[in-house]
Amino acid sequence: MAHLSRIFAKLRNLVANKRAEEDLAREVASHLTLLVDEFERRGMSPEEARLAARCAYGSVEQAKQAHRDERSLLWIQQTMQDLHYGLRTLSRSPGFTITAVLTLALGIGACTAIFSLVNAVLIRSLPYGDAGRLVYLYTPNPQFNLPAEVFGPAYSDFYDLKKESISFQDMAAFDESVFSLATQGSAERASTARVDGDFFSTFLASPQLGRAITPSDNQVGHEKVALISHALWQSMFASSANILNRTLLLDGKTYQIIGVMPQGFEYPHYSDLPYGNAQYKTTQIWIPLALTPHQMDDRDSASGNAVARLKPGVSIAQAQAEMSTLMARLDKLHDARVHGWGAKVENFVDSTVGHVRSLLWLLLGAVSIVLLIACGNAANLLLARAASRMRELGVRVALGAGRSRIIRQLLTESLIIGLVAGGVGICLADVFLRVLPHLNPGNIPRLNEATLDTRVLFFTVAVSVLTSVLTGILPALAVSRINLIDFLATSSSRSVAGAHTRVQSTLIVVESALVVVLLAGAGLFIRSYINVVSVDTGFSQSTVAMNIELDARYSQLHGVEFFHNLFARVEALPGVQTVGGISNLPLSNSEDLREFEVDGYPNQKGQLVESCGVTPRYVSAMGIPLVAGRLFTQEDKSDQSVAIVNESFAKRYFANRNPIGGRVSRENDHTRWSTIVGVIGDVRDSALEKAPEPQIYELDGDFEGGYIAVRSTLPAKSLEATIRSTLHSIDPSIAVGDIQTMADLESEASAQRRFQTSLLSVFAGIALFLALVGLHGLMAYSVSHRTREVGIRMALGAQRTDVMLLVLKKAALLLALGLVSGLVASWFATRAIQAFLFGVGRHDPITILSVCALLAVFGLIAAIVPARRAASVDPMQALRTE
Amino acid sequence: MQILQGTLDLMILRTLTTMGPQHAYGIASRLQQVSEDALNLNQGTIYPALVRIEQRGWTHGSWGKTENGREAKYYAITRAGLKALDKETERWRQMSGVVEKLLAEEQ
Repeated sequence: MAHLSRIFAKLRNLVANKRAEEDLAREVASHLTLLVDEFERRGMSPEEARLAARCAYGSVEQAKQAHRDERSLLWIQQTMQDLHYGLRTLSRSPGFTITAVLTLALGIGACTAIFSLVNAVLIRSLPYGDAGRLVYLYTPNPQFNLPAEVFGPAYSDFYDLKKESISFQDMAAFDESVFSLATQGSAERASTARVDGDFFSTFLASPQLGRAITPSDNQVGHEKVALISHALWQSMFASSANILNRTLLLDGKTYQIIGVMPQGFEYPHYSDLPYGNAQYKTTQIWIPLALTPHQMDDRDSASGNAVARLKPGVSIAQAQAEMSTLMARLDKLHDARVHGWGAKVENFVDSTVGHVRSLLWLLLGAVSIVLLIACGNAANLLLARAASRMRELGVRVALGAGRSRIIRQLLTESLIIGLVAGGVGICLADVFLRVLPHLNPGNIPRLNEATLDTRVLFFTVAVSVLTSVLTGILPALAVSRINLIDFLATSSSRSVAGAHTRVQSTLIVVESALVVVLLAGAGLFIRSYINVVSVDTGFSQSTVAMNIELDARYSQLHGVEFFHNLFARVEALPGVQTVGGISNLPLSNSEDLREFEVDGYPNQKGQLVESCGVTPRYVSAMGIPLVAGRLFTQEDKSDQSVAIVNESFAKRYFANRNPIGGRVSRENDHTRWSTIVGVIGDVRDSALEKAPEPQIYELDGDFEGGYIAVRSTLPAKSLEATIRSTLHSIDPSIAVGDIQTMADLESEASAQRRFQTSLLSVFAGIALFLALVGLHGLMAYSVSHRTREVGIRMALGAQRTDVMLLVLKKAALLLALGLVSGLVASWFATRAIQAFLFGVGRHDPITILSVCALLAVFGLIAAIVPARRAASVDPMQALRTE
Repeated sequence: MQILQGTLDLMILRTLTTMGPQHAYGIASRLQQVSEDALNLNQGTIYPALVRIEQRGWTHGSWGKTENGREAKYYAITRAGLKALDKETERWRQMSGVVEKLLAEEQ
């Protein structure tokens, strides 16, 4: 034990009190001076006196060290004492301890949970070497008025840039494709990345088994090799060790498996590319890109995604400058009709997580408010308890404990509470992380990788300690300021309680203000969410859609025949009403933008419109209403002689004209015109929250693959099964992708909103609950301390209702103060969530009114119990107590 | 002569009650004087005891001036210190009584 104390003493010396050290040095110096004085008085020379003093004093350093050790030893003994004493007093009032611990645990747990998300998504580095040096390369063209991220470089540009640039250590081109992967007797969709030979070296990623794809695999004739993801290795091959001798059948072609990627590597994910394929969640298979010489020379149509790793020390700005210079020259080699191709270098990490950064910080801010409210409550509990402990603390002061000693004692107690709450909080966060996969909206990268790692645990400990200090400091100061010995002498607790309730009331006001801010935020989120889900999408919710693509075994002719057959057989199923096909389904994150002109309209150069090819009955299968004219019929020819437009198109380009009979052209040279035969309703195409854009539908009589929409009276599940078996009977090696109802697709499109809205609402709910518990506690406490006053009032003739009103009035005053300051605060604070709102202003009166009503109703409910207790006081008994 | 473990605190408290507030040098000189230099202590060795009793709240230290105008830290005994002195004195009396008795029987 003594040995252990010694070690502690040494540790304590590391953080030795500077003032005590200075004081000691001063005291030793003064001691020596006095000794020298004495020896000089006895007749020694100053020099002799100095030596004699040294001798009499002994070793200065030894004395100092002994002093230090003694000082620290006491500190440790006192801490042990405080801990022991704290644990004993806390265990003596379990009700108080449990309430305080649970209150703080809610706050700390919420903070830990959200921080673990922040940690997984924003802080933990991406598993691609030094990800900060990765960049995406684009070749945007301002002529098209589209975001730069739409324009992956043409392969010819890419390889010229690769040859000539010096900013990059590595550069890779890749593309996303979805293949039919043959499984036992059936087929499923497999997200596949087609990558060039430098892909894995650019990401500094190497397989866990086997080898990566190399440049030689990208030579025509050697390209039938594949790497598979860890997940696919487990699910399809049961983690077989023999994997390198196995093959995959992709779109009917055999690929030799050459390796398995480690668990963390599933790049690209759905959310990694701004305009990625929506059918794509994570990558399961990587195969060589294997461009033909023709594609490599293509500067105008074939393009892919480009990623590069900056050389050490090269900044994005430098790389951007170099790229721009190179592209200025390459632009001249492009097709004469479209020039103006530029360059854009974008930070990889920012494009991956940039869109969720503000959301996560916002959530962290919200849970910090919850934590603050929890701290306020715990502080109130401690204050109330300190008031009832006045006598005990007074005795300790009388026995010689100093003010700082009392503060330390109380802080030790709150530290015990805080740390236990931290432990409970970690358990709560763990529960949250178990529920998380069900909440995951799917577009927040690496959300499911959130764990309670060392960094998160360290954060929790830091938060717990901070919380303890925040919670404990106010009560400790309040108690130590009171002259406890006088207090003992008068043995009255009333004056003390009065001083405390002022602090406690302030805390309640601040808590309610914070709750109002959270409620206002959550209210606005809920309103936005309701607005999003009640958007009129323009299509039927019950239509079942799916994606079917044929593989290279089918010639064009066979493909058309395949779908004619499929459509006919599905339409013949009992319960099925209509079947239609389309190239780009709404909300599927894909669109086809084309240059176009409108006859009799001041057309602009590079004017783009979304264009979809549909089969005759697509519009009715989707339940899109016909507004004017007619739909396509089987008699219409698919030679672009007829077209249908949506309402937005009609409004913009046929402002005061009848669109029916008008003409549009989509050929580059604008020589062939199609006549508009019908106008149909707008649909939400790219996102629920984006206003509909003009669209042109053209008839695609030779449908060869894409999305299929089926309208039926059957339940979605049984229709799905029937369609699968129908397809299987036609060709078992073709897989159905993304089969779901349009309602499911819509729900997916609002998933992130649901995620953020439910989290924020839960936090606001917890905050409201905590604040009400606090209010209730304060009211109950002040009622119990005013029993005597209530007794006197009643003895003097006050009615029970008067007494109840007295209490309720006080509660209402606190709530009103909190509400007003909260509304003022949220007036400014909602600026932070402006960007998250949809269809609702940040000073939305309905939200503000609801928040007021919510707080008023629940606040009064919380106050009514103590108010009734006050009213039920028996005046005689009340006067006899105390 | 070595000081018995734990007795230094008692001696310092006693010195402070008889002499009033004193600085470390004053206390050390007094101890040497009373013991007629039998206690051969380096004056620095009383420091741990000084800090211990101050931390226990038995003394209160403050800076002041000696009659020669030198600055020095003066220790004054507190109420808690007086109580502790009574207790320690009682304990010492009992202890030395026991030891005395035992030694007397030996002879």
